[in-house]
Amino acid sequence: MTATPVSTPQETVRRGSGPRPRRRVSLEPYLYLLPHAALFFVFTVYPIGYGLYIAMHRWDLLSGRQPFVGLEFFRNLFIAGTPQADFFWRTLWNTTFFTLISVPLLVAAALGLALLLHRPIFGRAFFRAVFFMPGILTVSVMGILWRWMFDNQIGLVNAARELTGAPPIPWLSTEGLAWIPIIVGTIWWTLGFNMTLYLAALGNISQSFYEAAELDGATAGQQFRFITWPLLTPITLFVVITTALASFQLFGQSLVITNGGPNRSTQSVIQYITEEGFSNSQISSAAAMGFVFGLLMLVLTAAQFRLMARDVQSSGEEK
Amino acid sequence: MKHTALALSLSLLALGAASAQKVSLTYLHGFTGPDRPVMEGLVKKFNETHPNIEVRAQAQPWGTTWQQLPSLVASGRAPDVVVINEDQITGFIARGAVSPLAPAEMKAAGIDQTRFFGPLFKTADYRGQSYGLPVSSVAYAMFYNKDLMKKVGLDPNKPPRTRAEFLAAAQKCTVDKSGKNATQAGFDPKNLDTWGVSLYNNWVGSRAAYAAILQNGGELTDKNGNAAFNSPQAVSAVQFLVDLVQKQKVARPNSTEEAELAAFSQGKVCMFPSGQWYLDRFEQQKMNFGVTFMPRVGGSVRDAAWGGSSHLTLPRQKPGYDAAKRKAALEFMAWMTQPEQNLAWTATGSLPSQAAVAKNAQFEKAPINGIFDRLDSVYATSGVPWMGQVLGPFDAAWEAAYSGKKTVAKALGDGVTESNKQIEQARKNFQ
Repeated sequence: MTATPVSTPQETVRRGSGPRPRRRVSLEPYLYLLPHAALFFVFTVYPIGYGLYIAMHRWDLLSGRQPFVGLEFFRNLFIAGTPQADFFWRTLWNTTFFTLISVPLLVAAALGLALLLHRPIFGRAFFRAVFFMPGILTVSVMGILWRWMFDNQIGLVNAARELTGAPPIPWLSTEGLAWIPIIVGTIWWTLGFNMTLYLAALGNISQSFYEAAELDGATAGQQFRFITWPLLTPITLFVVITTALASFQLFGQSLVITNGGPNRSTQSVIQYITEEGFSNSQISSAAAMGFVFGLLMLVLTAAQFRLMARDVQSSGEEK
Repeated sequence: MKHTALALSLSLLALGAASAQKVSLTYLHGFTGPDRPVMEGLVKKFNETHPNIEVRAQAQPWGTTWQQLPSLVASGRAPDVVVINEDQITGFIARGAVSPLAPAEMKAAGIDQTRFFGPLFKTADYRGQSYGLPVSSVAYAMFYNKDLMKKVGLDPNKPPRTRAEFLAAAQKCTVDKSGKNATQAGFDPKNLDTWGVSLYNNWVGSRAAYAAILQNGGELTDKNGNAAFNSPQAVSAVQFLVDLVQKQKVARPNSTEEAELAAFSQGKVCMFPSGQWYLDRFEQQKMNFGVTFMPRVGGSVRDAAWGGSSHLTLPRQKPGYDAAKRKAALEFMAWMTQPEQNLAWTATGSLPSQAAVAKNAQFEKAPINGIFDRLDSVYATSGVPWMGQVLGPFDAAWEAAYSGKKTVAKALGDGVTESNKQIEQARKNFQ
């Protein structure tokens, strides 16, 4: 009990009058951190605080007063019948639906392509480039392209259907079907990035594992199941989380391809927040939605990490 | 010697006085791209002819201005003159970002508001006061294919004006692959070769519905600023447009703007109501087309078409703002909206803002001349500070009605309900 390391007055005095260099040493790490810390405070902490201020006031720069409204704009999201509650949750579900469909496709297809293009096939570099290339397009170019592909009347997809005698399908104006151009377009657009990550990971797996497996008579399927897949788990965790977060940030694709229609069925939650903020000039309400959405993303990512980090650890032990 | 010295010092004094009086103005506008050199040329001309005023123009995208203007005004660093568009202006006025133009002030600067097309000038009015001068305007027009009209037996120089004429023309233009038109037995609407009119479901398409509602005596909002586009007049007007698709089969269902634009360019559709900004494109394609004012499809109360506009405004300044600056700014605004300058500005594809300009000989042979007799019936969507909350649900209602997802009455009714819920919230910002 007496040995509790509490600084005595004497100690403090000694520290104060102690040799100066010691003090400078203890300051040094903070000086190194300062540039980043400054940027972090200016561009992350301050905006978050300011955003909270906006969300809790009826905020308009022009009006002299910015009355405090507390959680009114947050509460709006949970009171049935307000436009915010209706559209926020509807568009959040739209975005979730998009994520649930697109993430498995984007991960599986990227892995499949990487496995194919990892092997020394003819024209490998060409195909890698072909699949990677769409990713360099901006979302507006990609969006207009797929909008035209799936246009109800002049689209290439319907033109192809007409050749076979099938009637054209109104992709862009049918609820449900309108997701197809968005999802197909997104996969085409972003697949190459995930594929490249998998290719890099595949290149890091030592050939000796496969040689040993072959000596033991393992089939290609068994090799994939017991060697490739477990060793790819860390990169899969990374790909799934980044792809899921990117999918939840759906904005440009549905904005350009369907403009959220028909009947808001493909409107993403970010598009709705933008609409509330800039087209309805309800900045505070939009800020509140931004916080709720951000919080949901945080919880989701944490949950994903927990679930999958266990896999990574156990696969590490198997090694 | 003495005299020269005296004259020199006197003239130096005069020069000093003149330069002391020289007023410098900042002018912020969103005319970027091909419009920019034309606007810059006009500003240069103003500076050359007005030695006492120097206008420094700055062009930046509209959206940036809408985001920056509130903080510029709040911090007292607003430019002296700003151009604001029709869909934003009432919101900025109601929030106090723009200062009113007093009648005496306008008179002193030589601004005669009766010179402008009435509805165009009133776009920047709010609660009985004027806040801006129209410097640029665009409008909905109806393009029509003269060759196709001749082919189906219509007079290509007499575009329809009434609902009956419009429907008859649309029916004759709608011909299926076996050569039968929409009025004949055995007509197959699923296999069209050509059709009467282009309708589609985005915001541009919904402006046809806006025109129809006005033509029938309806409005988007009532006098309290609440959404009112489900009045009997509005329902009946929009019903006629929806019937063109669902009952008369003279317009394609499930169409998109791109598809209708392509169809009109390829000579597949007779009448294409849309923004006058497509004029350039059809002229370049050497199509044989005409332009006319939107026929009275909604009803016969009045002529009406949608229009967009940009207005020169004076932002609210901090107390103690130099009165000479405000006077100079008004002089600049007056000069910029003179017929001569407006005529020069139409080179950008904008429409005349006043009758005197529309009568200019240079338009006599131009196709766009077809709408000049009714430019005073072009109405912008403005007048309430919460235009976004009205137009969003209105566009969605048009989409639901056009696509047949809801009946016209239900679609417009749902739209009004949603809009009014949002307006109720928006009102709190303006108390």
